[in-house]
Amino acid sequence: MSLLDWRRTLSISRKEVRHVRRDPFTLALALGLPVLLVTFFGFAIDFEVRDIGLSVHDQDDSRASRQLAEVFSSSGFFRLQKAEDPGRLLRELDSERASAVLVIEPGFGKDAGAGRGASAQLILDGADNTRASAMLGYLPGITAAAQARLLGSAPPQPARLRTRFLYNPELNSRWFVIPGLTVVVVGLLAILLTALTVAREWENGSMELLLSTPVRPLEIILGKLLPYVVLCFLGAGVVYLTARLGFGVPFRGSHLLAVAAGAMFLLACLSWGLLISVATRQQQLAMQLSLISGLLPSLLLSGFVFPIESMPPFFQYFTSILPQKWFMIVARGEFLKGAGVLDLAKPLLALFVMDAVLITAALKRFKRDLEP
Amino acid sequence: MNRTLLAFLRKELMQTLRDPRMRVILFIMPVVQMTVFGLALSTEVRDIRLRVLREPGDSAMARLEERFYASGWFVPAAGGGETDSDATLYAPPGGFRRAMERGEGDVQLIVDAVNAAKARAIEAYANAILAGFLRSGLGPGEPPPAIDLDVRVLYNPAMESAVFMVPGVMSMILCLVTIVLTSMSFAREREGGTFETIVSAPLHDWEIILGKTLPYILLGLVDAALVITAGVLLFSVPLRGPLWILALSAFVFIITTVSVGTLISTIADSQQQAMLGGFLFLFPAILMSGIMFPVENMPPAIAWVAHLDPLMYFVRLLRNVLLKGGDPWVVGSNLAVLAAMACGAAALAFKRFRQTLN
Repeated sequence: MSLLDWRRTLSISRKEVRHVRRDPFTLALALGLPVLLVTFFGFAIDFEVRDIGLSVHDQDDSRASRQLAEVFSSSGFFRLQKAEDPGRLLRELDSERASAVLVIEPGFGKDAGAGRGASAQLILDGADNTRASAMLGYLPGITAAAQARLLGSAPPQPARLRTRFLYNPELNSRWFVIPGLTVVVVGLLAILLTALTVAREWENGSMELLLSTPVRPLEIILGKLLPYVVLCFLGAGVVYLTARLGFGVPFRGSHLLAVAAGAMFLLACLSWGLLISVATRQQQLAMQLSLISGLLPSLLLSGFVFPIESMPPFFQYFTSILPQKWFMIVARGEFLKGAGVLDLAKPLLALFVMDAVLITAALKRFKRDLEP
Repeated sequence: MNRTLLAFLRKELMQTLRDPRMRVILFIMPVVQMTVFGLALSTEVRDIRLRVLREPGDSAMARLEERFYASGWFVPAAGGGETDSDATLYAPPGGFRRAMERGEGDVQLIVDAVNAAKARAIEAYANAILAGFLRSGLGPGEPPPAIDLDVRVLYNPAMESAVFMVPGVMSMILCLVTIVLTSMSFAREREGGTFETIVSAPLHDWEIILGKTLPYILLGLVDAALVITAGVLLFSVPLRGPLWILALSAFVFIITTVSVGTLISTIADSQQQAMLGGFLFLFPAILMSGIMFPVENMPPAIAWVAHLDPLMYFVRLLRNVLLKGGDPWVVGSNLAVLAAMACGAAALAFKRFRQTLN
């Protein structure tokens, strides 16, 4: 007797396909949602902050101090306004009228003129990380520009930096966001789609019926996974076309490699959902667990926005249990870098191991429930 | 309060809390998730792996390289390959000093720009380091810096990422838990067939709705207290505003999310739909909240969606109250918007519920 009968597996799949087809809402969501979300957030997500409110309190009012303020406004990132109540400068930040305050004390112009190193104070609002880190990123450039402005005509610079940006020469942040967004959205959808399948059958009592047939546990597990792999692939395919044609994201790698890695990734996420379903046997709990284990970790710990390299060492390893982390590397590598199999050996291996572990775990757990 | 309603409330609470796995989801997961995200996340670009290609005898370039590492932003790349580094610095041919004397001292910097925001930061840091180097070391006559910007980051002077992240993560977790709890409530009764039993019981419509929402508001408040206490104790996030404003904000926010969750559950036909509906609300709500990327500069065609996001208002409120002590105008306006949303969502949920009865 063979371990696995494909005919029986496929009939389980056929049954699952009927379930999906009966629920047009779910089907429409599975196919339409990835495109919708990727398109919407592809337009929405932009890490550059412009129009930052900067309150200036210029006590010096000299040519140099005005020049300094001008450098801030001409950088394009800041919107200058006069400090409302100089006595209570911090109120500007408390009331969120401004995100930064520039204080120039009397004597600034004199110091700058004498070459003594004039000092001005810049107070940043540290309550909002996205804005604070953006501002800190702009500062070196602004300081350099102010330096040049105040020293009169640009001083003869013996050396300059010529920067070339690899893979994304124009620093288009969409190229970074869209492959990552695709991974997050498709992965989440995969977890959610399978999370209820087995639990529903237990709750309805149809699982007993299924078990009384000659179908085996492995066939049930694989048969339930297959249709969703196809469904998610269709969803991902539409997203791929949107990214290429709609947003002009380049694809420099091999399609074959991307498809193979994508299949492994989808399988990992679907088995994750299935494992939850098998382990809880109850729809409500399965939903709660899948949303809690899926949503925030894949948004925050996958490297989608917060770089994994910036995490403390322990968490750099800890995040390795997320399939999203690995497929994120593959997706960005394939889209932007044109990475080959050897470059991606580690993520590919990790995804493969995850597939094996998650499917085995789901199967083991399922078999345990079957024993009387 | 009348007795039937009280009994109904007790039934809902018992049904939710009886499963030990549910108690873990409700009371332990939020604290665990907050701890993980609070410790792990940081938007700061640090430990940029730098590779420097120079001739062995190029001492000027070697000193520039030292300055890069001394800045704290850059670290030497471990491997020699291109994939092991984030940025590569190429010395001008024939030595850096000689090239500068010729007036051709251009140093080439190649940056891996897959992450565009990070690449931009790397370039800015490198420029600042080179400028400082030219001023202090090699420049003729050592012109002193013309200006010096004394930068202070208020509310979080040490730039601890936990202080940044924890208020945001708190609000995400509260939103997640309350939506996840409520979005299945009616869908589940309907699928299980117990919905008819409840409807035929001697209860008013409003009693059913209250019985289905009050317990979750209560549980949400317990969770809010839990995450806020954990945030303040574990991560020493300051609590600078009055506690009662914090509690009031959390209360209003939880009413909003519980109402949205209940609305989803009255619309959904099955638990599967309820789950996808919950996802459909949570995913945009979290992304548009301003925690992961700035929402101020979004194109107007999209920005209006962010203004419908209760999470965005709550994050602003929480940050203002925790870190800035609660400015009356900021607290008042955001609280008013949240309260309006709570009323709107509750009214919609109630209306939708009565429709399903007929």
